[in-house]
Amino acid sequence: MTWWTLRAVIGGGLLTGLLAYLTATLPDARPWLGPLLAAAAVVSLVYVGVMPAVRYRVHRWETTGEAVYALSGWVVREWRVAPISRIQTVDTKRGPLQQLLRLATVTVTTGSAHGPVRITGLDQDVAARVARDLTEITRRTPGDAT
Amino acid sequence: MTSVGTPPAAPVTAEAPMRRLDRRMIWVDAIQMVISLIPTVVALAVFKVEPRPQVIWPAALVAVLGVVTAVNDLFRWLKTRYRVTPDRVEVRTGLLVRSNLSVPRDRIRSVESTANLKQRLAGLRVVTIGTGRHASAGEATIELNAVRRETAEELRRLLLRGADRPDDATVLAELRWRWLLYNLVNIWAFLTAMFVIWSAYWLLNNFGVELDTWVLGLADWEALGPGVTIAVATAAVGLIGVAGLVIGFVTEFWEFRLTRVRTAAGTALRTTNGLLRTREVNRDDNRLRGVHIGEPLFWRWMGAADTAVISTGLAKAGMGAEPASTILPRGPIAEALRVARLVLGGDDRPFEAPLRPHPRRALRRRVIWALNTTGALTVLLLWLDLTVEALPGGLWLAGPGVAPVAVLAAVVAYRALGHTVHGRYLVTRSGLLTRSTDALDRSAVIGWKFRQSLLQRRLNLVTVIATTAAGYGRYKAPDLDLHDGVEFADRATPDMLTPFITRIPPRR
Repeated sequence: MTWWTLRAVIGGGLLTGLLAYLTATLPDARPWLGPLLAAAAVVSLVYVGVMPAVRYRVHRWETTGEAVYALSGWVVREWRVAPISRIQTVDTKRGPLQQLLRLATVTVTTGSAHGPVRITGLDQDVAARVARDLTEITRRTPGDAT
Repeated sequence: MTSVGTPPAAPVTAEAPMRRLDRRMIWVDAIQMVISLIPTVVALAVFKVEPRPQVIWPAALVAVLGVVTAVNDLFRWLKTRYRVTPDRVEVRTGLLVRSNLSVPRDRIRSVESTANLKQRLAGLRVVTIGTGRHASAGEATIELNAVRRETAEELRRLLLRGADRPDDATVLAELRWRWLLYNLVNIWAFLTAMFVIWSAYWLLNNFGVELDTWVLGLADWEALGPGVTIAVATAAVGLIGVAGLVIGFVTEFWEFRLTRVRTAAGTALRTTNGLLRTREVNRDDNRLRGVHIGEPLFWRWMGAADTAVISTGLAKAGMGAEPASTILPRGPIAEALRVARLVLGGDDRPFEAPLRPHPRRALRRRVIWALNTTGALTVLLLWLDLTVEALPGGLWLAGPGVAPVAVLAAVVAYRALGHTVHGRYLVTRSGLLTRSTDALDRSAVIGWKFRQSLLQRRLNLVTVIATTAAGYGRYKAPDLDLHDGVEFADRATPDMLTPFITRIPPRR
């Protein structure tokens, strides 16, 4: 949750900051930049205030012997299911922010370009364990992954 | 991805020597370069056209392009080596950037041999080998440009695993000239015409003929008034465009034939077509996962339909060419259905199965979106009206003006929705501009996605997306009732979701 908050703060801050800078330096553009700046500020605030909490409440994941399942999103919710037998790769990824917070993202890809199941913001150790387990199960499960 | 089976012993030695492209391509380039310069030279030398910059520049450009192409091709010929070993195809190429491409032969999905006019005259073919990669990654195909016709034929037979006997081919569809009608009315007509006129203008300009003055001299446009002028211009451009499309269609689909041929590894769907550019695509039936039929909105009244297979590992739409998955030119829907039935085989007729309509709430969602969009448009236009003085007042009225169209579109989109599970296939239908009906083999589904936006949660709707390795990679049934959606997915793939069924909860 801290991770989402940080990301939201950085993203919203950058946008608002940029607009504020432009508004300050380009007096000619103020009539239309002004409202835009205000809108951006409001949106960013709401985003920072609401998004992380909602996401934290919504996000769920689970792996069983047969499938991987994840629920994500805040405005648009998305459930994704991929059966173990169709898994092709398991990735663990940590961005700079995530390293700071000891978090990791596990991405499970299948044969489809549209079907990766992404589990974001896991504790690093849990992520490593999940990735290891999945790799292990996948290896035991035979079959063409398409 | 694990490989499927091992390729049968092919009639090549284990250490096949690296082969070169055919050296005739260089002569072809040289000759083409000379030919492309002829009009200008003739214009200058014979007709004594005065060498204005407008004449010189295109000619110089053509000359430079010709030389660059020729030199480029020369290096390509020098540096390209390829060979087919029993289990791989290897290509080495590149002057500055050397690249080695090695593709396992069981990944090869299609072999195309094309030839444009000059290559045909020289007996050359460009062989394009489609592999299981995604076209977007830019590594979907190996192109051998160019080899001798016999070599191309030999490669095709070799790569698609052994000789197929021509008497084993079953013809599924052949070109009917009636289909031409379906390909005439097209927005491309006007673009084609523009292109033709533009080329003609510059070509004639070389000879000192001013096309624009000539057209202006044809009639007394001033006297006819702008209305008639515009009508005549549109008709003329349209006519030229239609003629262009006719020529395009005829040259592309000349002797079009869709057959199912027996190969060493089973059966394959093959299309052959083309007058000047011949194209032959083979699609392994083991990779076939379903069929897609798209019906474009503005031609639905005449029942036009595009037919394509849903298959793993076929390259997506390329530049200037039909995607390899297309198995029929645009034609009547009845024909599309007939071919779809033959292609899928078996007793299931997914395209004739009655589709289950989606709940009325799906219509409500579409109408709400239509009105929201028009509302936003109106506000935006109103704001522009008030702040920008250069714009005419009353522009914002265009916003509400769009509303009926938007609502109509919403209704059309809603009426397109449908889904069902029929035999081995799951069938989804959706789309506004192109109503696409997709029958996908249930065993090809490799995962599910369920999406709910805020509004969908309010309306208790869910978009169910089946992900697969074939075709577009996902086939969706938008806006099902939440309960129906989960049931639909569960019915399509009984084992996949069962452990989660109780945990995909009906939220609110």
